[in-house]
Formats: sequence, C-alpha cells, structure tokens
Amino acid sequence: MGKGVSKLNEDIALDHDLLKGARHLSFEEKRILANRVMKKHGVAGVTLHWVNAISWFLLIFTGAALLSASYLRFAPEWYINMMDGIFGTRSAMLHFHIAIGVFWVSTLLLYGVFGYKNYVLDFIKHDLTIDKDDIKWFPAKALNLMGKLSHHKMPPQGEYNAGQKAYALVVAFSTITLIITGPIMAFHIGQPVIIQWAMMLHFVATMSVFAGVFVHVYMAALFPEERPAFFSMITGKVNELYAYLHHYKWWREVKNDEHAFFSEELKKDGIHLPELEECKNIKDHLSKGKNFDISGDEI
Amino acid sequence: MSKYAMVIDMDRCVACHACEVACRSHYDVPVPYYRNWVHDLRPEGVYPDIKKVSYVGLCNHCDDAPCVKACPTGATYKRADGIVVVDKGLCIGCGLCIEACPYGARYINPNNEKVDKCDFCVDRIKDGLEPACVTTCIASARIFGNLDDPNSNVAKLVASGAKANISDKVNVGPNIYYLDNHNNFPIVQAAFPPKIPQMPTPQRLWSKVLKPMFYLAIGATFLGQMAAFAAQLFKGESDIKE
Repeated sequence: MGKGVSKLNEDIALDHDLLKGARHLSFEEKRILANRVMKKHGVAGVTLHWVNAISWFLLIFTGAALLSASYLRFAPEWYINMMDGIFGTRSAMLHFHIAIGVFWVSTLLLYGVFGYKNYVLDFIKHDLTIDKDDIKWFPAKALNLMGKLSHHKMPPQGEYNAGQKAYALVVAFSTITLIITGPIMAFHIGQPVIIQWAMMLHFVATMSVFAGVFVHVYMAALFPEERPAFFSMITGKVNELYAYLHHYKWWREVKNDEHAFFSEELKKDGIHLPELEECKNIKDHLSKGKNFDISGDEI
Repeated sequence: MSKYAMVIDMDRCVACHACEVACRSHYDVPVPYYRNWVHDLRPEGVYPDIKKVSYVGLCNHCDDAPCVKACPTGATYKRADGIVVVDKGLCIGCGLCIEACPYGARYINPNNEKVDKCDFCVDRIKDGLEPACVTTCIASARIFGNLDDPNSNVAKLVASGAKANISDKVNVGPNIYYLDNHNNFPIVQAAFPPKIPQMPTPQRLWSKVLKPMFYLAIGATFLGQMAAFAAQLFKGESDIKE
C-alpha cells in the first residue's frame, strides 16, 4: 500500500503543479501524461455514436436514391438505377429507409427517456453550451489553420471544443427536425401541405448535417492532432496528454473530481491526501475572459 | 409498341354517369372524389336554342406528364405503353402531383392517404378486357384503344378530327380526345381549361434557393477538407506527441 500511495502522491504532485496553470511540458511530463488515460465516453455514448453513424450512412444512401424528381435529385441517374437494382423495387427501398428511420428514432427516444439525467443533460452541458472561450476559439482556430497561431495559444477548451460544439448544435437541431418530419412523410400525418413543408425541412436538416460531415470525419479519422478522439469513440478513453493539450478546462474538471473521489476513498483508510486547490490565477484569467495562453502568459 | 388512348364521343354521351359509377364501385372511390367523372354543365343559351353539355373526364395519360416530373420519389411514372400509374408502395401522399396535374385527375384517397387516379384499368387490360368505364357505357360513347395502331378505332377517330383539351398555355400531350360535331367541346374547354402546373412554395424555395446554397456549402467543405488532407500528405506526418 505504501508504494501505491507514494505513486499516487507523485501523480498528485504533477496534477497539483499542472492545475496551477497550463504550461509547456517537459519531455518527462509529456511521457507521464501520454501514458495515463482518462475516460471520455461511456459505453452508452460509444454505442449511440455508432448506431447513429450506421443509421445515418444507410439513411443517406437510400434517401439520396429515393429522390428521383429532377428538381429535388442529388444523386446521378446511374446511382439511382444501381440502388433500384440492389433493392429490387424502389418501394422496397422506401420501406427499408422507413424501417431504419424508425429504428434510429426509437434508439434516440430510448436514450432521451431513460438516459435523460445521465446522457441528455450531460450532452447539453458539455456539447451544446457555448461559453466565452468557445467564441474566442473560432478566430483563433482560423489563425491556427493559417499557421499564424500555435495551438498552445488557443483558448482553453472544455470536453468538446467550440468547433465540435457548433457542429453538435447543428446535428441536435437537425435530429429534432428529422424526428418530426420523417414520420410525417412516412405515415402520411396531416394534409399534403404539411407533408410538402416536412419534405423541405427534411432536406434542409439532412444537408446541414451532411455539409459538416466531411469536416467531422476528416478531423476524427485523418487529422493527426485529433486522432485520439477517433480511438476514444471505440475505447471510450483518451490519453491525458491529448486531454491536457486540447481540452485543458475539461482535464482540470476531471482531475478535481478524481482527486475528490480518491481523497474520500483513502480517508476511510486513514490516509490524507494533500489538498488539491484549483489555482487562483487560472480562475481569475478565465473569469475575466482574458485570452488564455497555455504557457501561462497572457496573449 | 402500344400507346393507349381514349376517345370520348360527346355526341353520343347522354350524361347518365354510368361510367363514373362503374369506376367508383370497381375501385372503391370515396364519394367526393373521382378517378373518372361526368361534370354536367349548366344549360347554355336562350330558349329554344339551348345546349346542355357534360364534361367527361379522366386522367389524360399525358406524353409529357407534369405529375411524373413533380413526383419526388418516382411513385408516379409512365409505363412503356403510355399509361401513367401510381406505385402505391412508393407514394408518400405529398400531393405535389395534384398541384401539377392540369386536369384535376388526382386525389388523395383518405382510406390510405395515398394518391389515386385513373390507370386505364391496367389490370383489366392485362386480361384482355377494356376499362370498366368503356365496358359499362350504354351509348358506346367511350372508345379505347392503341393510338400507335393506325387500324384501331381510336387512331381513326383522332385522324378524323377528335381533339384533346389543350390550350395555348398548356399542352402536355394529353391522350384523351373528344369527338364533337355540334361545337360543344369549346364550351367544355371554356369551363374546364387545363391548369398551368403548379409547384408549392416549399418545393420552389428548395429547388431555387436552398438546394444551390447547400451545394455550395457542401462543395466548399468537401474541397476544404481535400485541400487540408492533401497538405497533410504533402507535409508528411510528425510525432503527434511532439
């Protein structure tokens, strides 16, 4: 036990130091953080992500082939013919589209009803709420992409960065729109005029998500800096170095929670951990809304 | 190849509505709607010069059918034999075809919320029968047949001067022809001119404004990502842990 606690004390010493303010890390510190993992997504979140991804994939590919009128069509003639060939008849394809849609909506509603406290509120808090740092992130990211600002100087981000949040907002509103407009068309709810508007909104919602999906897939699967986020959608975990560098505010939050949890647990064994106070000056920086520099300097 | 058409002999029609009833009973058409209709016009003229004309109508199975173009899913389509049909399994009841039809030949059937209209009784034709309205007509005022066959009755009647209900503004190649030797057809045309095909506001908004906007946005993000990916490949990968 003594050894475990001393290891814990070492970790706490590093956390304690890093919580005083984000700064450039030494090679040794990077190595330690890179070898530590923290939980980013639960099993429920990972499952929902892939159910969502597979459903969207199937729905987009059948939906595009269902629209054959020239003024609405997205897909070329050969694609529609190919999909007709795969499904045999187009009405079979429509029924497949509706069946997948019903499955997708049911899954989301199950999460919404039974996971309201655990998942929905958490999603709204971490993924949909835009704060001051998020607003500063957009111009900073533009400069960063142009190579004019190192990512060390980006505003500190929560569990999701502002770009991810903006896309999550689009996806959330589009999802609600699709959950309403899909059944209106599939089950002929209301007068034709309602179905006509539902159809247009269905396209608007789908295309809004589709416009961002290239960025989403590229950032997650191909872009080197964000690649740990992709693996976190399988394992649910990210390494702490990634969390520290890209989502510093979230890292801090998790570390404080973790420490509170461990000190409670160890108190039962009569062991007292050193207090882990949040560093005053970071708090001040954040509350004053000043640009925050991960090296500890003001920009 | 065949191209089915129908000729209505206005001089023989006695406006008994038997065709309408036969159609209604054959297809279980709910009351305010029609697949096939006889609209009795008000008497025209001054006694003793009075005319009483009826408009016998049904789907015109147009060559350039606006309903086929309007249908988003392809549920309404034109068969190789010229008959315009509705695939009920694919119809979502959006009513765009109803707005597009110049002849008011379509309705949403409240029993299944899907579009219904005359299909020249395809199932009867398949069995070698004539459409129900033709068989039932007491005066043989409806003549059905293949317009591509020059020896058929319809082809001969059309050659002899039967006219379709078209106007200067709307001509989408209808295949219902009216035979009239008493100058009654102009009265019908004046009362029921073909309507200009309409597209509802949401679809106009989508196809004229929103669709091009989304194409631009999607194209831009796609190209942006391709450029970023190309730059990444060009640069080569560095250690992500720095």
